[in-house]
Amino acid sequence: MDDAPTAPDVIRGEASASVGRPLARVPLVLNRRNFSWITERISGVVEDRAPRWWWVCFTITAVVAMIGLFCIGYQISTGVGVWGNNIPNGWAWDITNFVFWIGIGHAGTLISAILYLLRQKWRTSINRSAEAMTLFAVMCAAIFPGIHVGRVWMAWYLAPIPNNYGIWQNFRSPLMWDVFAVSTYFTVSVLFWYTGLIPDLATLRDRATTKIKKFLFGVFAVGWRGSNRNWRHYEMAYLLLAGLSTPLVLSVHSVVSFDFASSILPTWHTTIFPPYFVAGAIFGGFAMVLTLLIPARSIFKLHDIITLQHIDKMAKIILLTGSFVTYAYSMEFFVAWYSGNAYERFAFWNRVLGPYWWYWWTGMLFCNVLSPQLFWSRWCRRNILVVYFVCMCVNAGMWFERFIIIVGGLHRDFLPSSWGLFVPTWVDIWTFVGTLGIFTSLFLLFIRFLPMIAMSEVKIVLPGADAHDPTPMGHHPVQAGGAPRT
Amino acid sequence: MSERLSNAPTPEGEYFESGRFAGLSVLLGVIAFVALALCGAGAVIDPRQFGYSWMFAFAFFFTLCAGCFFWTIVHYAVDAEWTVVVRRQLENMGVLMGIIALFFIPIFFLRHHLFDWMNIPAGTEENLDSKRAYLNLGFWVVRAVFFLGFFIIAAQLLKRFSVRQDKDGNPKFTIWLRRVSFISLPLFALCITFAAYDWFLGLQYRWFSTMFGVYIFAGAAGSSMALLVLVITALRKAGYLTNVVTVEHYHIMGKWMLAFCIFWAYIGFGQYMLIWYANMPEETRYFLVRNTESWWYLSMLLVFGRFLGPFVILLLQSIKKHPHQLCYVAAWTLFMQLLDMYLVVLPALHGTGIHLSLWDFVALIAMGATLAFAFLRIVGKTSLFPVRDPRLIESLKLVN
Repeated sequence: MDDAPTAPDVIRGEASASVGRPLARVPLVLNRRNFSWITERISGVVEDRAPRWWWVCFTITAVVAMIGLFCIGYQISTGVGVWGNNIPNGWAWDITNFVFWIGIGHAGTLISAILYLLRQKWRTSINRSAEAMTLFAVMCAAIFPGIHVGRVWMAWYLAPIPNNYGIWQNFRSPLMWDVFAVSTYFTVSVLFWYTGLIPDLATLRDRATTKIKKFLFGVFAVGWRGSNRNWRHYEMAYLLLAGLSTPLVLSVHSVVSFDFASSILPTWHTTIFPPYFVAGAIFGGFAMVLTLLIPARSIFKLHDIITLQHIDKMAKIILLTGSFVTYAYSMEFFVAWYSGNAYERFAFWNRVLGPYWWYWWTGMLFCNVLSPQLFWSRWCRRNILVVYFVCMCVNAGMWFERFIIIVGGLHRDFLPSSWGLFVPTWVDIWTFVGTLGIFTSLFLLFIRFLPMIAMSEVKIVLPGADAHDPTPMGHHPVQAGGAPRT
Repeated sequence: MSERLSNAPTPEGEYFESGRFAGLSVLLGVIAFVALALCGAGAVIDPRQFGYSWMFAFAFFFTLCAGCFFWTIVHYAVDAEWTVVVRRQLENMGVLMGIIALFFIPIFFLRHHLFDWMNIPAGTEENLDSKRAYLNLGFWVVRAVFFLGFFIIAAQLLKRFSVRQDKDGNPKFTIWLRRVSFISLPLFALCITFAAYDWFLGLQYRWFSTMFGVYIFAGAAGSSMALLVLVITALRKAGYLTNVVTVEHYHIMGKWMLAFCIFWAYIGFGQYMLIWYANMPEETRYFLVRNTESWWYLSMLLVFGRFLGPFVILLLQSIKKHPHQLCYVAAWTLFMQLLDMYLVVLPALHGTGIHLSLWDFVALIAMGATLAFAFLRIVGKTSLFPVRDPRLIESLKLVN
């Protein structure tokens, strides 16, 4: 019993012939592209001169980013009063933006770590750019609680450093847990991203045409030679980091949800918040990955690597996580009613019919609940325009959701005499828009200077990487360099 | 290679020879008959205690069957390969939901002993009156019929299409099964959530938690995977599936046990911690009972036994790839699921501490023996694995 056999290679009889055509597995890389084509196509994006569109886009996003940085500087020098925050809305756009960006930062590590552990080979085409996006999103997220404390120069008090004043952090505060959760997540995500980059950096080093590039890529490739020993260490490190990252994906947004759920405020104190926030983060994160990858795929002609199959699978994950988010919304409403608690019931009715009703109807209901339902249809999952439309809806919807949770829970609290609405100021608006500029600028820099697709990982899932591949690489219809064989 | 070829499964499939186990079947039948007869006596002698004991056993077996059903629909929804060789046993356990539905009949007749909200007249309790639209007998019965009806119909469809595919290997059945699974996924979420609310949370109708449905699901999914490990190992020990299910399949089943061990702890911790932190009386009442008196010991055993112990052990790859050792963990996981359901149900009756009753054991034996008897009847009727499934070869060649 204990020495169970290894899998038989062949099964006798008819069963082997029964794989129907409709169920045939589609290759992850189309047109039987070979190793050389992949290297040329991906490295080419980094090695060729920056196209004009890139400069136009980068200039615009950099200007927006600068406006955002100006707003941050203005807020730090003047005070939190430049925002629209008030009593009772002590948290508003700042924390909405924080949760929004942290959520975006979930998809990358999910794709890299969890899908890796689940042996989902299709992740290889999208994991690199999704991981980069994760890092940039977490950077944007970290800005908001940092500047929300008011006296930014005291932010180091957040770290548990024994100091001369004898001040010690309140470890019972979920806000403190946030600091640890987010910083750990960012650190491990950087390590994971960098570890995955090493073989590709070595490829760029070997292809570099200038001394500076050769030196820089050489330094960051840390002596990678592609030896058996290198690969063995690399794969072990990758597996360990995937194992470390997986609980972090779950923990970060769970801890963010504790910021709200550990309170006693109606609509905030809900036990389903941890998995609901995690599902929402993956939901929004995948939408953002597609938002960036769909244009990149067209511009760099990566249709053979990021195929409709990849988009289809990502759309399914959006549908799955969107459905869990819908489930959580429904349970919140049901339990608010079932509890019989007048305050809970009021708060949820206020969410639907109160001053911010349209945020709920458009943001949460239409964008987050209804629009992903289009992905039940295979045609919709494979129609780029529909996919893009749904992703934009989800991007907007997830921001609205966080606003509804935060301001929706605060603006009509237990004391009606203190009720008040939140109105954003120009600083609120431009700080948020500025982070969109920072995020897109960083992403544009990333695709210019680093391989946006994990070349080494994509090559591993090619049929040619299998020693038993029936079609030798030389017989593939596309030659090195991507030129079609005539 | 030649040795492997000679051991490869045949296209006729493998069939469980019921005759070999006729003695066991008769023994189970007799135990089931006697235990069910005793249950009848229990329902008359001490209907309140018996009702809770029956509900506890029902919760345990319902979650196991629902979990098996879940794994079947997930298999089709994600087009999985590895599950193919073990899927037939999931289907066999899923169709036992028909018997689970019969076990619900005593709950219906004992409802006034179980659900206090049914005994409180309108106008007595304002909070209860405000949710009478949901908590009323008619709607409660309609919901129960819907939940159980869904599980029965969907599980039957999954089994029938799968068995029909055994004959001709037509891939259209896989397409149909996918459709059934896609439709079943949201309905499964709906049914297990509200079944948990109606039958388990309804025992303490004043308490509420948005996480409760997810908590019951997490336990169901993890423990049903443990049950699958035990069933597959028992079949292999009897000489079946030996060339079909490999250590690679055990490795994956072990990984899922680990994943749901962690997920259960995550959900359980999230629910407990948030209620403890906010410390509001209408929420803490559930855990106050379970964390005081002798219940505290069982709660602690659950924390250590359901999460910490299996978590550490299942991290080891060698355990997951060792069928015999994995079976110990699987059996322990099932025991912990039993304890979990005991802690969900019985404190609602015995708020002052553990009060073991004879009926707890009798109800458990009656249901367990009946289901095992039915399983032995079902398992021999079809091949032990879906012999012409389009993904069978991929499943046989599985390498982690």
